[in-house]
Amino acid sequence: MRKLNTVISLMLAGMSAPLLAGHAEEHWPEPVKPYRTGQVLFDRLEVARTDNDDDLIVWDMLAWYGGDRNRVYFKSEGENQRDDGEPSELESAEVLASRLIAPFWELQGGLGTRGSMASGADRENYLVFSLFGLAPYRFEMDNSITINEEGDITANLEAEYDLRLSQVSYLQPRLEVSAALTDADAYDRPSGFNDLRVGLRYRHELSREFAPYLGVYWSRALGNKADRIRAQGGDESTLGVVVGVRMWF
Amino acid sequence: MTTSLPQGRRQFIKSALGTASALTLAKIAPAWAYPTGRSYGDVIHADQAVDLVIRRENQTIAGLSGRPITINGSMPGPLIRLKEGQRARLNVTNGLNEDTSIHWHGIILPENMDGVPGVSFPGIKPGETFHYEYEVQQNGTYWYHSHSGLQEQLGHLGPLVIDSADGDIGADREHVIILSDWTFEDPYEVFRNLTVAEGYYNYQQRTLGDTLADIRRQGIAKTWEERAMWNRMRMSARDILDVTGSTYTYLINGRDNATNWTALYKPGEQVRLRVINGSAMSFFDFRIPGLEMTVVSADGQPVKPVTVDEFRIGVAETYDVIVTPQGNRPYTLFAESMDRSGYVRGTLATQLGQAAPVPELRPVPERGMAAMGMSHAMGDMQSSGSESSMEDHAAMSHRPGPMTSGRQRPSAPDLGIQHAPGGHGPAAAMIARNPVSRLNEPGVGLEDVGHRVLVYGDLVGAHPWPDEHEPARNIELHLTGNMEKYMWSFDGEKYSEVDGPVAFRHGERLRLIMVNDTMMDHPIHLHGMWMELENGQYPRPRKHTISLKPSEVVSLQISADALGSWAFHCHLLYHMKAGMFRVVNVS
Repeated sequence: MRKLNTVISLMLAGMSAPLLAGHAEEHWPEPVKPYRTGQVLFDRLEVARTDNDDDLIVWDMLAWYGGDRNRVYFKSEGENQRDDGEPSELESAEVLASRLIAPFWELQGGLGTRGSMASGADRENYLVFSLFGLAPYRFEMDNSITINEEGDITANLEAEYDLRLSQVSYLQPRLEVSAALTDADAYDRPSGFNDLRVGLRYRHELSREFAPYLGVYWSRALGNKADRIRAQGGDESTLGVVVGVRMWF
Repeated sequence: MTTSLPQGRRQFIKSALGTASALTLAKIAPAWAYPTGRSYGDVIHADQAVDLVIRRENQTIAGLSGRPITINGSMPGPLIRLKEGQRARLNVTNGLNEDTSIHWHGIILPENMDGVPGVSFPGIKPGETFHYEYEVQQNGTYWYHSHSGLQEQLGHLGPLVIDSADGDIGADREHVIILSDWTFEDPYEVFRNLTVAEGYYNYQQRTLGDTLADIRRQGIAKTWEERAMWNRMRMSARDILDVTGSTYTYLINGRDNATNWTALYKPGEQVRLRVINGSAMSFFDFRIPGLEMTVVSADGQPVKPVTVDEFRIGVAETYDVIVTPQGNRPYTLFAESMDRSGYVRGTLATQLGQAAPVPELRPVPERGMAAMGMSHAMGDMQSSGSESSMEDHAAMSHRPGPMTSGRQRPSAPDLGIQHAPGGHGPAAAMIARNPVSRLNEPGVGLEDVGHRVLVYGDLVGAHPWPDEHEPARNIELHLTGNMEKYMWSFDGEKYSEVDGPVAFRHGERLRLIMVNDTMMDHPIHLHGMWMELENGQYPRPRKHTISLKPSEVVSLQISADALGSWAFHCHLLYHMKAGMFRVVNVS
């Protein structure tokens, strides 16, 4: 902007003096100021009851600040199983720098951590890169790759679609797939596809900012991870119902 | 500024208003918009200085308590009447606790009187008074408004009418009508909502039900084809206006529908209505059911009379129409927002208290195919992700509408358009592959209304303009946008991203070519100089604000006769705020 003012000043300097009289352009404000803002969005803040009679509190949120091209993001997902005596399980907590690289896509990179939220717990720290945005046909997507300190690589895909039933209510299918490119035994992630989770939520906006919802989800372990769970006599799939709210401020 | 009333007019007021007290009158209309209007022959003394004081104060708006910006205690501000040939002296005092400004919209004046902080002057600091002074070289219907921040949305605006040197108003009586959009929300909150939550104010989106209805009507294949096009592009066919009646209360001379602002006439009189769209974000469709309107002026400049039943008025545009109401009956002045999310009405009547039936809002229009009523009518647009291409809608538009004003509408010149290689970057969600002239189209929602709608192609200047040189060069600018991120710009660059001004050479004659690479309509305003619209008519009509439809190309001839720096921007307030703004420098 300083540059523009300089250009304008130089151009004006070439003009007749009376026009410049009384003008102190360096002190003039910008006619249009660059604008930055931010948002905190809980895409999912819900309680879930599974077919194993587990009660979970789940969050999936993000916060951002910045302009339209460059932003800083904080994203977090996790869950707390009630009455299991354990602290919350942090699926991810990430700080990312984001750049708009195409009209509907942001490329994001940063650092993240996951694991138990217990104090002193040994969490997994990682580098993360995400392609975040809106795919053709209006699928909201957050696709990311993470690399931890041991060099283990994971890939995650999240897609949501809002089917508009009325001006304030939506049916939202949701898909989440995670895979590991390398064996990460320490973190219970054999290579290959690990998890699939699909959900369907009915959401009703009380306001644009506050929308309670009801829904169901089904998750299933895949590939080697599923084999391992079965070998241990576990259940590789879970069905759950959720009640929650999508909210932002 | 004082008005002396001839004896005859006093009697008219007395009989028309009956025993209404001054207090009642103040509620139903601002002092300048008294129901009697102004009869031909009234004397306006505008040679003294006009003092304007800007304040933020509580006022009742549509029966609720609001906190608008007032000018001399009223919102909208007072009618300023000047006379062609006089020297205007306007003292503006800032009673706000932030900087302010007044821009005299459409007025030809020296650069340093144009009132754009950062371009023409530093702005007016709290407590300061700025003395505007300029020779009034034109006449017609104009307006004035703040050019600081989002103050316009708070009602910092008012009408400005300049009488011709001979005082002839071309009618027996006239009324000034300024339309505006008021919200009880903080304008910065509105802007943030648009930025963080696309479609925040749009409660007219397509739903599953619409898609099912389409399938029943036209089958699955065609419905899929249509929906797929829009959804591939990640755009909505119902994005008509960004901010809608869901937050706006539309006002006519500052009054809401319940108040029913009323303009009086005497049967048989010719009445001139000076209609100004002073809103921040709202295009209006204006009509008076039962009365035809003869458009005699556009953006304050005289045009050859053309008779229509309805006209669309873009933000910041003005039209003067002559109507001749008959009988003793009331007529509804009806201004419907372009997206049909709301309206404001007033009444043209012979007595206060009269009202005519108020039309229903028409169905929500949809861009593209459905609105055109034919297949493949969507624009030949391509999302810059290049996943899709669409067939041409505008190519069909050369068909004459079912009802026309009767005027011959030659086509606008063909222009070769250049797109930046690779599009305009992330700031442009779309480029118009094959932009065409749409000057003879009435616009979205008005295609099949069954009566005469004004189109730009109908406008013919009343006389030639002084500079008839053929433009020696072309300047091309593309209107670009990304609704998802609420980015609005020219050529994919926001104001804060451009290196310098658009350079005009003093004294040159140039052609400005604008291409609308977005799905929205944009009213584009050039300060300081007229734009002569190349609509194939001669003399060309000249305008200060030109509205572009999606995927449209327009060309304008400009005489770069005004030295200095001038603002050039989209007059949708939040588009300007987002960066759809440039400085034009004439040197």
